[in-house]
Amino acid sequence: MSIDNIKKEFPIFNNKVHNNDLVYLDSANSSQKPQSVIDRVNDFYSKEFSNVGRSVHYLAVAATNLYETTRSSVQKYINAKDKNEIVFTKGATEAINLIANTFGQKYLKEGDEILITELEHHSNYVPWHFLRKSKGIKIEFAEVNSDGEVTIENIEKKITSKTKLIGITHLSNVTGAILPIKEITELAHSKGITVLVDGCQGAPHLKLDMQDLDCDFYAISCHKMYGPTGLGILYAKKKWLEELPPYQGGGGMIKEVKKDSISYGDLPNKYEAGTMATAQVIAFDKSIKFLEKIGMENIINHEQELIEYGQEILRKNNSVKLIGNPKNKGAVLSFTIEGVHPHDIATILDEDGVAIRAGHHCCQILHDKLGITASARASLGVYNTKNDLDQLNSSINNCKKIFNL
Amino acid sequence: MNIKELYQEIILEHGKNPRNLRKTDNFNKEAKGNNPLCGDNVHVYLKLNGEKKIEDISFEGSGCAISMASASIMTDLLKGKEELEVKEIVNDFLGMIKENPELESKKLKKDEKTKLMCLSGVKQYPMRVKCATLSWHTLISAIDNTQEEINTEKLD
Repeated sequence: MSIDNIKKEFPIFNNKVHNNDLVYLDSANSSQKPQSVIDRVNDFYSKEFSNVGRSVHYLAVAATNLYETTRSSVQKYINAKDKNEIVFTKGATEAINLIANTFGQKYLKEGDEILITELEHHSNYVPWHFLRKSKGIKIEFAEVNSDGEVTIENIEKKITSKTKLIGITHLSNVTGAILPIKEITELAHSKGITVLVDGCQGAPHLKLDMQDLDCDFYAISCHKMYGPTGLGILYAKKKWLEELPPYQGGGGMIKEVKKDSISYGDLPNKYEAGTMATAQVIAFDKSIKFLEKIGMENIINHEQELIEYGQEILRKNNSVKLIGNPKNKGAVLSFTIEGVHPHDIATILDEDGVAIRAGHHCCQILHDKLGITASARASLGVYNTKNDLDQLNSSINNCKKIFNL
Repeated sequence: MNIKELYQEIILEHGKNPRNLRKTDNFNKEAKGNNPLCGDNVHVYLKLNGEKKIEDISFEGSGCAISMASASIMTDLLKGKEELEVKEIVNDFLGMIKENPELESKKLKKDEKTKLMCLSGVKQYPMRVKCATLSWHTLISAIDNTQEEINTEKLD
């Protein structure tokens, strides 16, 4: 599958927005879906639907096999050691909450420290805040530097004898900084600290290898990977899933239920209580196939070329200020225009069919640090082209014209 | 609808140079409002005199052109009016932004209506309505001395 014609695989681009071709630059928020994924959801509901893991009839067995096939595909895709290290969740947010909740319950006590960074999305801060409230743990923030990166030195500075877990983004959804997860994990493990990676932006744009990264937990958002909404993945090393208590109680996660005792199911069922997002899991297999067909290396090259081009043209555009200048940058171009609020930028760009996001992108800590309340963000996916970025630039010029800049 | 109908000159001008962007000396009423989705925030200050007339009204805050212009036009227009009059005008404005085609209040002069109708373009942009109404809701909260901060996500 050639990346040059990839837009054709996405039916959304057949539609017009305000009579213009859609220039979709909001993939960090959620990516569009290829036809194969859409068809898979439809086909599964039309021809193959059944709940999984419970009944013995034909459809149930077939659906269970499909569901487990996705688990195996994910395992291979992220190079996890064991299939049972893959837990489906309703999103990356739930994956992080699952760990905060269970790890917090079992291992954290008053005064213990969780180290996160100033780049973190609210979903890798608020779950820890709950523990700050309920258990009296402390949350420390590794500082972001003027390039919008968090260096390993800045992480090391905040590690103390009380640090129990480092929660860190793989790729910042605002500055695009790619963090050296492998090195951070090595450092953390040498001090007996557990590592959780928020891989929401990392997973769609980077090659993933869990055994190489060696992190303890990695949270993935499937709808940002050309997959269905309502689905996330928690990768966790097997020893953790065996040691940690279950997260939610209900059907599917138990082994035996008596009036005075309950035993829990084996992995990964222990963490998949209730009816899961079956159709989404099954369709997500097509997202992985889609990514594999193009090849992650091709995706990385394509997106790197776009990021460089985007930075180049926006830097030349007077009054546009790019946020962050990390050495390793992926898929995100956040900016401000002096004299135009990001929400006004987004409304004006939308009129031209250019979809970007404006706001704090769930990173208020970072925006406070930058001294701004909001920014505009153009984020990339496989389907974007240089032409899209030219259109972004020309719509920015239109915006400046409206504001008499 | 053309984007220029939303970003009319008068809105851009008020957005760029907001009137009454300061803190009223000796204010006796105040309220804060914020729009958590956008990060817009506003703090409205009022000085009501013995006859419940607005002697001074001002605001502090930051936000997009629409929210700044709306707060600027609001404070400009309501200075000198009586509390009851103000409440009627606020309701009329919010009604117009929400559903009514025109402003109906008899308390508004023709030129005042024209000025407020400049903000009517926002009706075509549902995601931006909150930007235009934030300062108005906050003003009512100040008049009523509601202690609760106005949060656009909790409004209808």
